[in-house]
Amino acid sequence: MRLLRQTWLLARNDLRQEARQLELVLTAGFFTLVVVVMFALAFFGLAADVQRKAIPGMVWLCVAFVGALTLTRVFDREREAATLAALLAAPVDRLAIYLAKLVVTLAILLLCSAIMVPGLGLLFPAAQVFAADPLALIVLMVLGCLGYAAIGTLFAAGLATSSGKNVLLSVILYPLTTPVLLFALVATQRLLDGHPELWNTLAQMAALDVVLVAVGAALFEAVLIGAANPGAPAQARAARAARFAAPPPAPPP
Amino acid sequence: MSKYVPYVLLAGAAALFPYCVQRVFLHTPIEAEMGTAQKIFYFHVPLAWICMLFAVVCGIAAGIQLSKRSERAEAVAVAAGEMTVLAGLGVLITGPIWGDATWGTPWTGDARQVSTALLWLVFVAYLLVRRYGPSNSERIAAALAIFGAIDVPIIYYAVKIWKTTHPQTGVVGSLPDSMWNTLWVCLLALMMLSVAFVWIRAGQERTASALDRAWIAAESPLPKPA
Repeated sequence: MRLLRQTWLLARNDLRQEARQLELVLTAGFFTLVVVVMFALAFFGLAADVQRKAIPGMVWLCVAFVGALTLTRVFDREREAATLAALLAAPVDRLAIYLAKLVVTLAILLLCSAIMVPGLGLLFPAAQVFAADPLALIVLMVLGCLGYAAIGTLFAAGLATSSGKNVLLSVILYPLTTPVLLFALVATQRLLDGHPELWNTLAQMAALDVVLVAVGAALFEAVLIGAANPGAPAQARAARAARFAAPPPAPPP
Repeated sequence: MSKYVPYVLLAGAAALFPYCVQRVFLHTPIEAEMGTAQKIFYFHVPLAWICMLFAVVCGIAAGIQLSKRSERAEAVAVAAGEMTVLAGLGVLITGPIWGDATWGTPWTGDARQVSTALLWLVFVAYLLVRRYGPSNSERIAAALAIFGAIDVPIIYYAVKIWKTTHPQTGVVGSLPDSMWNTLWVCLLALMMLSVAFVWIRAGQERTASALDRAWIAAESPLPKPA
């Protein structure tokens, strides 16, 4: 109960900041729109049956792009305001920090999905099948985005201390999230095809999400504490750099 | 005493490799369906097993590194991660050559192919993060390795259900004993080589971190003698 309350407090703090500035919502939302338009331009000429095979790929590529963008920003704010150390020193469970960031990322991703899916439906006639089963669609988007955010939040936290390392986040994120994205692809295809085993696949995705969130939560503390104090190789690099920049003082005679 | 182990292994591998090649090409029957192209199997399969083995070793060592802050485990994790990438590269080169000869196409999108490629990508990312990451990169990389090791079975299963929309491809059927025995000999040779490499690399990594600690100690201000 306490964990949930702390999570809610931290998440509400982030969401309130977001509500005041609308930075992430507007940039990520507009980026989603841009990606959808790019997909429309790239795949405009596809026949209806080919469209139906291409749409799952478009949906989850878009989530992957928007997710990487959002995740770099979610922790950037802590870095810019130098509040990461304060957050670590605060009397809250570390798990609550992870869950709060996860909730914020998930909220942004779902908001972008709410732009993307109708957008795809507008531009590609084959995607209008999505409207037939709104419940399955919502479950699918939540489960897919949750799994993606569970992995992403962990590594975004680890890379939070360094600016300009955003390429590394994508390098880590895309190979590691392929299992959940592959499941999401299959489920989306089954949703479009009206496959009878759709809910079966969704249940498997839910199980996978539980595993990913559990592993992410278990590793979060180790990664985040590492973010606060540099490891031995980095300290040694700094020491070497300092030594070669300034020559050592002459020994006393 | 243990510092001679990798060199003994290397010597053993050096002696065994010519025998392997001789055995594969001269003393093992030619497979009926695939012909001589199947000979690559004796190096492809052991490399794939070594790749998987060291991926798991890397994940476990990274877990010990994070939970016990063990430098020895960290060195083993780095060495195993590099071995995974190296063996994976071997698998990804030999696999398409074999596939091209047997299936007529180098890349069929078979579940094992795709999952090996994804595993390889994860461990390349591991090495990239370790090399170019921020100041806390060894912890991020360790978390990545643990996730990678957990992902191995999940990736395989995910690719398998993803493949249901694609045609199934044939896989190697049952083999006679003479072929299996040749495979074991090749596995032994490659395994000795890879364990020796990992051993030497882990030792080198420990020396490097000892040197790092020496630098930190040399630069930190010492209390002035009274």
